[in-house]
Amino acid sequence: MRITHLLVVLAPCLLCACIGGSNGTATNTTPPAPTVNTLAVVVDAGPVAAGGAINRPYVTVKVCVPGSTTCANIDHVMLDTGSWGLRLVRSVLTASAVTLAPTTDANGQTIEECAAFAGGETWGPVALADVTLAGEVASKVPVQVLDDTNTGASPPATCSNNGSVHNQVSDLLANGILGVGVFAQDCGNACVSPSTPPNIYYGCAGIAPGVCTAENVPLTGQVTNPVALFAADNNGVIVNLPNLQSPNGDATVSGEIIFGLGTQTDNALPATGLTVLGADAGGDFTATLSGSTTALPALIDSGSDDLAFADSDPNMATCLTNPPPPQQPSSAQWSGYYCPIVAPQSLSAVNTGVGANNATNTVQFAIADPNSFVATATAFINLGGGQGSTRFIWGMPFFYGHEIYIGIDKAMVGSLQGPFYAY
Amino acid sequence: MTRHRVKWISLALAFGMTPWYVAPACAALGGDAASVASDAVALHGVMHATPLQQYDIHEITSDNGMRLREFLSRSGVVFAVTWSGPAVPDLQKLLGTSYQTYTAAVSAEGHHGLKRSVRIATPDLVVESGGHMRAFSGRAYLPALIPSGTSIADLR
Repeated sequence: MRITHLLVVLAPCLLCACIGGSNGTATNTTPPAPTVNTLAVVVDAGPVAAGGAINRPYVTVKVCVPGSTTCANIDHVMLDTGSWGLRLVRSVLTASAVTLAPTTDANGQTIEECAAFAGGETWGPVALADVTLAGEVASKVPVQVLDDTNTGASPPATCSNNGSVHNQVSDLLANGILGVGVFAQDCGNACVSPSTPPNIYYGCAGIAPGVCTAENVPLTGQVTNPVALFAADNNGVIVNLPNLQSPNGDATVSGEIIFGLGTQTDNALPATGLTVLGADAGGDFTATLSGSTTALPALIDSGSDDLAFADSDPNMATCLTNPPPPQQPSSAQWSGYYCPIVAPQSLSAVNTGVGANNATNTVQFAIADPNSFVATATAFINLGGGQGSTRFIWGMPFFYGHEIYIGIDKAMVGSLQGPFYAY
Repeated sequence: MTRHRVKWISLALAFGMTPWYVAPACAALGGDAASVASDAVALHGVMHATPLQQYDIHEITSDNGMRLREFLSRSGVVFAVTWSGPAVPDLQKLLGTSYQTYTAAVSAEGHHGLKRSVRIATPDLVVESGGHMRAFSGRAYLPALIPSGTSIADLR
């Protein structure tokens, strides 16, 4: 008994010493411990089943059957600031003995989702889960279960005709996707009440082919960014990855995501020097490549492995395994990325915010020939691609050495209102 | 009933709209001239036609935020389609006979993992599809059928 009391008395004083407090200011009350709001982020080769990945940031997500202790820690979930909501591969959940029941609509039909990406989509039911990220808990979060085992309804043609279904770990290069971008719900009002629901949410009467019909889903039923459902620290995130050691690639990178903006001592916004770029209703600010007069929709996107933009400069050749001279042949791994003929190519682009947060900032960057990269590395800073794109994507290379602030739509961060990106 | 009617209903399906009746699949890209007004009621969308010197633009907008434009040459062929909105339209309906070319090229891409943009460029077909949740956009065109004097940049 006496020892226990002694520890209780001593513990606050130890804490005081750690934060530089004085021994003479002890009080009778111990402040509540702050919620642990920092989660590790790692860039590595990805889950074994992926067969290798580059410039993919991963976190571990704890997911539970709602209200239960049936939980799993899912590693190598890709951290994606360019989407909204948590998506987990069904077979990975099953291997951890977690089964999430699909949600149903007013007619008792299973709610399934077609979540599009360029050239493909994920498909599977919406389910509720309790999601824990570091010390932050969000209960009954609508998440998407990616049906890699084809257990549920098959995707209707209006969904799969975008391209191939990307439900496998080897397609995603991840065990799931954690979308922590600037919105709470992944579709928003476009899926709530239009007379013609878009090809996103479907009601499915069973699992036979042809039983799914596009339908509206209220905001509370849409797949939702778990951060927006935290009790606190729910107005945004900071993604903090260090600069790389080598311009030719690092083996791995370790960083962190911090939940909340201006809510704890570890997530304050800098008083000066921050570029705040407001986003539009689609989640984009604008970027204008040097030499161009076209302001392109842009975002800061940890779900893209490169800096992606179209460039008409003849020096910005696209990597080909068998190109015409003077371009050098590229390894197949880099096919489709940029292979500047004279490399590295120095570039710049001007970012401009939309709406009240209309800052302008010029970013200098470089694109290297990836064939000069270290073969065993997984993190590359000067990787570009996207020829033919009508957008500007500040993908993973932009994160190395930057603290990226993401403010969620409608949330307040001091006097700033989301949606915004800042760095 | 005209072939125009079939065509617009096919566009309606591409858009996720409900037509009055099920029509056979019909190509949009590379297809014939379309009547603009007669079927707009059936589309649950608003149709708008803009005649230009080289071609006409037919635009359908839906209250779900989807916008589809098709570019119709003076010879009556749809040589380009563009789209924007919260979802990706049914590209099989939109690309018609060019859809197989698109899917074959996409599956041959070396760049794995999620992407925010893809570009397929063959001598006969160019497809650019990009964006992210809440904001998708793209276009497809048949390079050989673009009217002379028309800039690719105008196909928006």
